[in-house]
Amino acid sequence: MSDHLSMSVPNKPEYVNVIRLTASSIASRVGFDIEEIDDIKIAVAEACTNAIKHGIKNDQENFDVEFYMDCDKIMINIIDKGVGFSLDEIEEPDLINPKEGGLGIFIIKTLMDEVNISSDIGNGTCIKMIKYLGVDI
Amino acid sequence: MSLNIDKHYNETENFWLIQLEGEIDIYTANKLKEVLTNIFVKNISDIKFDFSELTYLDSTGLGVLIWALKKIKKTQKSIIIKNAKPNILKLLKITALDKIFIVDSE
Repeated sequence: MSDHLSMSVPNKPEYVNVIRLTASSIASRVGFDIEEIDDIKIAVAEACTNAIKHGIKNDQENFDVEFYMDCDKIMINIIDKGVGFSLDEIEEPDLINPKEGGLGIFIIKTLMDEVNISSDIGNGTCIKMIKYLGVDI
Repeated sequence: MSLNIDKHYNETENFWLIQLEGEIDIYTANKLKEVLTNIFVKNISDIKFDFSELTYLDSTGLGVLIWALKKIKKTQKSIIIKNAKPNILKLLKITALDKIFIVDSE
């Protein structure tokens, strides 16, 4: 049985740390350890950063963050109604010749156990991520 | 919640020591970039970052570090990261940036 907590967040950089604190608190409640909580904080922040930087162009709009808590996992959805993008645009970063951008999705996929990104040009983006208790990477 | 940056140029050994306190994310990363831009105007040398009081870093901060390295690499200078906390060391490792920056974890 999942518990569900939702937030509607202003599309402004100063709120990303608010979401991190919430994610941290919820993850602790589910039973994740410090390292896992740090992973979740970064992954959530990366998704929110993407929503703010690439998604919504108007800082008066909000985006949504949904937390679903189970006894053995946490699922977090970050949903924006921004410009969207083509999933073909996601490149694997070249870790030998790093660029300044493009690491966010790679980091989310490395730190979380399951990641699903859906987006359409003009229809916004939804990033879903799941972390299971007690799984080592 | 915020980021404090303390910079000091070591005249004897010719490097910038930059101590960071707080978090680097989308909100604070630009502050770091501005500080680095200002020091590059004065002097391009090796940069040693002291991460002992840095509690959070994500790709926004990594982007600034990569940008800085590109600026100073042309003059054969390096970026050295000292005293990074475990969560930050992990991030540097998974992005393979521990091979691009000199990460001193003693």
